[in-house]
Amino acid sequence: MTRPSDEQLHERWRDQPAPLLPLLHELHERDGYLSEEALRGVAKALRIPIAELFGTVTFYHHFAREPGGLEAPRVCTGPVCRLRGAGDLLDSLDGAVSMPCSGRCDEPVPVLRGSSTLVGLAADALESRPSPLPPAAPAGIEECIFAEMRTEGRAGLEGYRSSGGYDALKTAVLESTGPEVIRTITDSGLAGRGGAGFPTGRKWSAVADAAGDPKTIVCNADEGEPGCFKDRVIMDYDPHAVIEGMALAAFATGATRGFIYLRYEYPETEGILEAAIAEAEAAGLLGDGILGSDVDFKLYVRRGAGAYICGEETSLLNSLEGKHPFPRNRPPYPVTHGFEGLPTVVNNVETLAACAPILRNGPDWYRGLGRGDNAGTKIISLSGDVVRPGNYEIPLGLPLRELIDDWAGGAYEGRNVQAVTMAGISGGFLAGEDLDVDLDEASVRERGSMLGAGGIMVFDDSRDMIDVAHSAMEFFAHESCGKCFPCRIGTQRLTERLAGKAGPKELSDWLDEVRDLGETMKETSACGLGMAAPLISESLVKYFPERVAQHVTSVR
Amino acid sequence: MSDNIDGGGNGALSTMTLDGEDVGFTPGETVYEVSERYRREIPTLCYDERLEPFGGCRLCIVEVEGSHNPVASCTTKAAPGMKVTTKSGRLDMHRRVLLELVASENRDLDVDPMSGYASGEMATLLDRYDARTGRFLGMQSGTSHPDDPNPFILRDYENCISCFRCVRVCAEQEGDYAISVMNRGFGTQITTEFDGILKDSACTFCGQCIQTCPTGALADLKALASKDVPGETKLTRTICPYCGVGCSVDLMTRGDQVVGVLPAMDGPANHGALCVKGQFAFDFIGHKDRLDTPLVRGDDGQLHPATWDDALDKAAAGLLAAVDNHGRHSLYVVASGRAPTEAAYMMQKFVRAGLGTSYIDNCSRA
Repeated sequence: MTRPSDEQLHERWRDQPAPLLPLLHELHERDGYLSEEALRGVAKALRIPIAELFGTVTFYHHFAREPGGLEAPRVCTGPVCRLRGAGDLLDSLDGAVSMPCSGRCDEPVPVLRGSSTLVGLAADALESRPSPLPPAAPAGIEECIFAEMRTEGRAGLEGYRSSGGYDALKTAVLESTGPEVIRTITDSGLAGRGGAGFPTGRKWSAVADAAGDPKTIVCNADEGEPGCFKDRVIMDYDPHAVIEGMALAAFATGATRGFIYLRYEYPETEGILEAAIAEAEAAGLLGDGILGSDVDFKLYVRRGAGAYICGEETSLLNSLEGKHPFPRNRPPYPVTHGFEGLPTVVNNVETLAACAPILRNGPDWYRGLGRGDNAGTKIISLSGDVVRPGNYEIPLGLPLRELIDDWAGGAYEGRNVQAVTMAGISGGFLAGEDLDVDLDEASVRERGSMLGAGGIMVFDDSRDMIDVAHSAMEFFAHESCGKCFPCRIGTQRLTERLAGKAGPKELSDWLDEVRDLGETMKETSACGLGMAAPLISESLVKYFPERVAQHVTSVR
Repeated sequence: MSDNIDGGGNGALSTMTLDGEDVGFTPGETVYEVSERYRREIPTLCYDERLEPFGGCRLCIVEVEGSHNPVASCTTKAAPGMKVTTKSGRLDMHRRVLLELVASENRDLDVDPMSGYASGEMATLLDRYDARTGRFLGMQSGTSHPDDPNPFILRDYENCISCFRCVRVCAEQEGDYAISVMNRGFGTQITTEFDGILKDSACTFCGQCIQTCPTGALADLKALASKDVPGETKLTRTICPYCGVGCSVDLMTRGDQVVGVLPAMDGPANHGALCVKGQFAFDFIGHKDRLDTPLVRGDDGQLHPATWDDALDKAAAGLLAAVDNHGRHSLYVVASGRAPTEAAYMMQKFVRAGLGTSYIDNCSRA
């Protein structure tokens, strides 16, 4: 293959929607880094001021600015990988650098090299492996999203169609109406599975009613939360479920274009999605005149470049638009002012993947999958000190203890669960009696935490919770975008205090500072990152006061 | 003017409640703007009324009935029936913590007032909220650029609080996009293309970044250089002499020496904007080569000091001789772009009515 010139690449992308990220990735992969010359060319081709482009490129963790940067092994040092020897692996690999949790907590330790993912616990044992499939559900449990996923060949169009795939889309575009589709989704009780829990039907309805064209469907696949790896498995094994969900959303809202915003750390997933989109287009399921109807929907994959904040929907939209990925001030919300200022649905992968089964089986079926008053299912990414880590699709309302002990085999022999994180790390810790909680948003919030995107990391009684809390806070500090004061400075100060590097030596003063910081961050931060980060320090102090006292008063 | 589209209809006044008082607002106004009009003292650090609201510093938070968390008043639009509280124990607590936080990241809290127009904003708020407590100490943020050799703008980012007013004024007011934001979180840094020096960037040295900086991290090097000039600094409102726009400035003088220029934020022509000449090019005022008397060329071919009467007589005689000898259209007059409109008008009147030619132009156009 000949090396494409800058001009050829500019030509290829200039008139495409959301061109900046794919153009930068092509240059990044061609040269192994982003050179000054390449960036100046991009600035000119896309008419972005060069200072702004330079600043934006430096925002992303994975854009290398020095020759050879892309080839340097990047080792995940997330909360679970640290427990599995990521530090030693980092030291033993030549030229290796660390990266935040890259979503392979069920099979540590992932290493990115160039554009592929390797997995292993030692430098000489790294290999390329597909994502682990979800463990089988216990007998008597009915799943929605995982129901067919373990079937061989499911990722292909034929495999997907063999169990009713695209039937929902076909029925919708040929026999139904947008409002009817929205009513079914609304009746099912489906709510945003990325963590915010906003009712999906209401969101679609708002976009359908909003003025402005073209409308856009964005699939938020920027699964950056530490301890979350559910979207990866859905996209790797059931890409057509996501595509069908997006096409249904497009039909229901009148949107004509869609983007899957995929996190950088899932390079193999990009190929799987592109292949599935090509298959669907060839079969008339995407593109102009879907299945002979007058419905048009063109779908694009755009890959992030390493920034947790881009999972926040307005940062994501800025990133797609090629702008500096700070969150936007809201209102206005994306449903009226989204991609390029036009009405936009932003849904999580899991939410979208649930749509086709709901339309096929009916809203009552989906509602009935939850326990008690809870509608539907939630995928929990369970990892850490537990015998069978993995993705579990649980009925909402399942007790946490049941998930850990009965579904996942419990703690290791001779160990007890000391604490778990919730919502990845954004819900802080639960420990002690609060481990007896049902897994639904309301019950978890009663304990001062949240279910969020459904990442739960287990830490047994051999772990130092100060160390765990410190690494979690360090992640938030690393990922804070820097726009608002409480988050930018607060995450840094909390990290320093948990590291024992700064802060009062008197326990009561230390606690005052950490409490005041937490209160102000929770109530005044501009987005969820700064609001969630102090749950780590707050729950640490709540459940482990003696360990905190020891940490603060020990000689530094 | 143009913001009356949503809500209350054509310019109609809507009402909301501000600290228990019913107040009117024009649809489109932000809660901050309404509060300012009603003399509430809401603190801000990232706010510059000439720029789009940003919502970064969070100091302008207010409580809105029905909203769990306080909201940033600068980015929240006023709505009919909204009940807003601008001052409470809870708001004061948060504002103080936020100020303690910015104080903890900077090397200096107090800077030379000659640094720039807004350079004392942070220090003033630290005093108002009693926030010089030394709490939340830790690493300091920002890397200064002492190596930038430009003679105008000090780039002392160790005193930067990442409010991005400089970046926004450069983009929104000047349209230069010379500076931007690099990295993220606590590593955030104000930068230029490829983190170079200002001379190699799109910077026009207009100095707007200096004048909006609330901490003196960006500062006026020329004004700071006057620190050894004795006397109190006096401000005198005047008009920039350079071009016909007529930007208002406040000249900073000590004794009879001009030591710096502050843009007048209430200047009707410029709303605080200046260019490099108006901001920094005042050295000619006291320069030794500056003419302080008319000069007339003598028969010896040399210039000699003269009175205004002699000089004007000489000029008038020369102009009349040219008309007599070569006709009225032998003259072509160019008015100075530095002259205001009124003077330009006088000049064309003089040329058309006095000299009798229409050959008049202006150097701003020619």
